[in-house]
Amino acid sequence: MCTVSFLDLIQQGLLQLDLRVDIIWDYRDLFIRGIYYTIILSMSGVGIGLVLGLFAGMAKLAKTIWIRWPAIAYIEFFRGTPLFVQIMLLHFAVLPTLFGRSPSPVISGIIALALNSGAYISEIFRAGIQSIARGQMEAARSLGLSHSMAMRYIILPQAFRRMIPPLGNELIVVLKDSSLLSAIAAPELANAARITMGATSRPWEPYMTIAIIYLLITLILATLVSRLERKLDYGRHSRS
Amino acid sequence: MVDTAAANQTSTEDKGQSTASHRKPLISVRGVHKFFGKHEVLKGIDLEVYAQEVLVIIGPSGSGKSTLLRCLNLLETYQKGEIIVDGKNLSDPKLNVDAIRRELGMVFQQFNLFPHMTVLDNLILAPTKVRKQSREEAVQKARELLKKVGLADKENAYPEALSGGQQQRVAIARALAMRPKAMLFDEPTSALDPEMVKEVLDVMKDLAREGMTMVVVTHEMGFAREVGDRVIFMDQGEIVEQGTPQDVFGHPNNERTKAFLSKVL
Repeated sequence: MCTVSFLDLIQQGLLQLDLRVDIIWDYRDLFIRGIYYTIILSMSGVGIGLVLGLFAGMAKLAKTIWIRWPAIAYIEFFRGTPLFVQIMLLHFAVLPTLFGRSPSPVISGIIALALNSGAYISEIFRAGIQSIARGQMEAARSLGLSHSMAMRYIILPQAFRRMIPPLGNELIVVLKDSSLLSAIAAPELANAARITMGATSRPWEPYMTIAIIYLLITLILATLVSRLERKLDYGRHSRS
Repeated sequence: MVDTAAANQTSTEDKGQSTASHRKPLISVRGVHKFFGKHEVLKGIDLEVYAQEVLVIIGPSGSGKSTLLRCLNLLETYQKGEIIVDGKNLSDPKLNVDAIRRELGMVFQQFNLFPHMTVLDNLILAPTKVRKQSREEAVQKARELLKKVGLADKENAYPEALSGGQQQRVAIARALAMRPKAMLFDEPTSALDPEMVKEVLDVMKDLAREGMTMVVVTHEMGFAREVGDRVIFMDQGEIVEQGTPQDVFGHPNNERTKAFLSKVL
């Protein structure tokens, strides 16, 4: 009795919404450009974030306090403050002060996502490196390999394999968080939705559309990551 | 038993000659103390290892024997005393640690093969990256060594596909690929199933027979007796007794040695 009337209510509501797909069709260029920039922004962000994270993660494991301390400060700042605030600070304050003029929202966006994801990725690297047993480092050093050679040939290749699932996770998080860049008018998906809603006064169609697009992209990414993980599972094929 | 005695005799004869011709010790340890925090794990160790000698270190768990071995290639630091390896003082702050380590092969209890590389790649990594050998040269030597440890057919296998005994034999071959001046063995058979101990000890015996300088920390008393030129008994961070296997096992002088041997023999 109760459920029936509830379903009725939803049906009635949906009818009242009168969803109009043609709105999205009219603004399709905006959404296609949005998909393109969402992917570019998050991929570049995570790409640069990987390099930042590698160095910050290794620096955090360093014995010297002067190497360790800046890494810790960087990591804690970017993990401990909201990404939204970081984007605003970078785009409107830090970068204009450094370069004398406002950079394009795409550049600011990539820098913000890179710095933010670098802080999280450094923790993934640190955990990955520490998860490789000490014996591996000792064996490498006992053969006369230097610390950096041991890292490069022995520790990092093994750590990287263990880091793929959390790194894939991070990529998905960044992809979703890139929607915050609509606040500085970066031409990505959330910005497309915001413009469409502003022009048509219709919130449902644009935001439902980008929700579905985000979902599709993250599902595809998750599948790719788990495939990569399986592919790098060394030794399985040689078992005989 | 007869075999063992005969083998022992010939090997000591060989060694007697070669030791005489190499008077200067390859490794010498003088008054080494090591602390873990306040706990003193090595209490003034003096020790010499001559070229082509097989020195076996025995003793109860926690006696400091593995720590001493690991000090020899600086996997552990020590706080007092000095260690000289191949004429170089390990306490020298300007010392190139990597240069010392490449002259000392090390075999670990847990094998520590590189799991993301094939057996062959495990063997050629250090020779190509550290010794800068060409790949062809390193591969050729690696195949020779794999044949020697009886694993010629496993060069493309990954470590996880091998048994413990096979992994340890690969680890020995990997250390030998650097053509070290001496080999350090840190309880090489302690992590193995009993049926695999022999295959590893056999490889080590071959090495000893070829004149490799070896320092072996082990619980295998049979090996110590048969292959060792000299046996050292350590307890609570000190060298309590040392001598030929016949002396240490046959007529131990110290009460602690007697007590230990009565438990393990």
